[in-house]
Amino acid sequence: MTKRRADMKQFKKTVKILRRSPYQAIAALLTMSLTFFVSSVFVVLIIGGQVVLNYIEQRPQVIAFFKDETPNSKITEIINKVKSTGVAKEVKFVSKDEALAIYRERNKDEPLLLQSVSADFLPASIDISVIQAQDVQKVTGIVKSYPDVEKVITPEDLVKQLVKWTTTLRLGGIIFVSTLMSISFLIIIMVVGMRIALRRDEINIMSLVGATRSYIAKPFLIEGAIYGLIGASVATFLTYVLLLANARSIQDFLGPIQIFPIDPLFFVYLWVGECAVAVFLGVAGASLALYRYLRIK
Amino acid sequence: MIKLDKVTKKYPSGQIALDDISLEIAEGEFMFLVGPSGVGKTTFLRLFTREVHPSSGRIFIGEQDILALPAKKVPYLRRRIGTVFQDFKLLLNRTIFENVAVPLEVTGKSDKEIEREVSEILEKVGLLEKANSFPIQLSGGEVQRTAIARAIVSRPQVLLADEPTADLDPFTAEGVVDLLEKINKELKTTVIMATHNVQIVNKYKKRVVSMKEGKINSDEKEGRYEAVQKDS
Repeated sequence: MTKRRADMKQFKKTVKILRRSPYQAIAALLTMSLTFFVSSVFVVLIIGGQVVLNYIEQRPQVIAFFKDETPNSKITEIINKVKSTGVAKEVKFVSKDEALAIYRERNKDEPLLLQSVSADFLPASIDISVIQAQDVQKVTGIVKSYPDVEKVITPEDLVKQLVKWTTTLRLGGIIFVSTLMSISFLIIIMVVGMRIALRRDEINIMSLVGATRSYIAKPFLIEGAIYGLIGASVATFLTYVLLLANARSIQDFLGPIQIFPIDPLFFVYLWVGECAVAVFLGVAGASLALYRYLRIK
Repeated sequence: MIKLDKVTKKYPSGQIALDDISLEIAEGEFMFLVGPSGVGKTTFLRLFTREVHPSSGRIFIGEQDILALPAKKVPYLRRRIGTVFQDFKLLLNRTIFENVAVPLEVTGKSDKEIEREVSEILEKVGLLEKANSFPIQLSGGEVQRTAIARAIVSRPQVLLADEPTADLDPFTAEGVVDLLEKINKELKTTVIMATHNVQIVNKYKKRVVSMKEGKINSDEKEGRYEAVQKDS
């Protein structure tokens, strides 16, 4: 008999065993599904947080307004100074006229605000984007050191807050998901261990009539892999449905930060990744149960 | 040829189950291993399947020193040896057919081969019509025949039978030994049967090896149980 046929026979046998005592299997599957559903939610939150962070990082993070009498040469000097630090991604000069054009565009629906506003009322400025959010403080320090700079606006606190949030989310996610994975791992050890105990007579007989250790162990390893595969698939599907059902409200909440539509490949990668981890978890749990409980002479 | 060379089995408790046993059993031979309960008959049989590892000595099946086999090769050794266990070791939730099929399943045979070989053996032991029954639905003799069928289904070189007639009435017990004798003759299988059934041993006039306190007390061709006991 070919190896594939033998494996298929073992697989069918495992499914038969699962169907004979479904409650343990359901418990293991639910735990696996919950674990990987929570993992998926954290993955989505972390990736979403990163998208928000990237969006904010791409916006001008430091805006320095100049006094009216600042000469162009001084402005150029400041621009060069900022560029020379190497932390700025983009430094853009906004003249008084450009500032007026922006003001007009933003307030085009408010004619009252447009009346009697000329370019002289608005200061010239430079918009600076940094490569990494933590460099905002450095750039702010540089521009503030020039007396020609009248005012500096920076969303530094928001970025700091966001970095803090995403870091906390990552850390919390890792701790929470690790705890759930440990619980799943222990439940699989317990469920497979119980099955080994229930089938002890059969295992002993098989061993005495010439079954190899791998022949005896295979159904239990397949069982662990099945828990992983189904658990991860259910979790990915639930995440997909959850995101799809709430797409509108999430997008409304995020405003200009474009998240949807999410590339379907994202869910494929999520499913493949989670299946790999879950199958590993299931097989490792079953292996440990076999090592711990399978004592055959 | 089976050969035991100065085999001793001492348990960690200090109890000596087998003491310096040397014995040769020819291929295709039928041998009774007799002696009172607790004398070491079961330990003796379990040596061949490596369920028990002796403290010293060597055991050969053919040219192979079975004690030198690495653990991963033991399943392949067991496929060459059929065992009828004292407590039958049948799976109560499987049919007779499924019980007999176990040794073939573990060797990876196809369903078709299993169907053919199990049916053939069940016919040989007279249980074909009971193939779909469960062990609990069978009589003592039928259960014993099922255990024998499972032991011989993979055509082993050696058949070990540990008290196969225990708890059977004399008529059924004879039927079981007749079956073992038939297997021995037709399949040329070496049969080692542990028993303390005096009537059976005396009726069949086979080689009788008697054990006492872990040692071989006597070894006689066409021996008798009473004679053996008197000698001891």
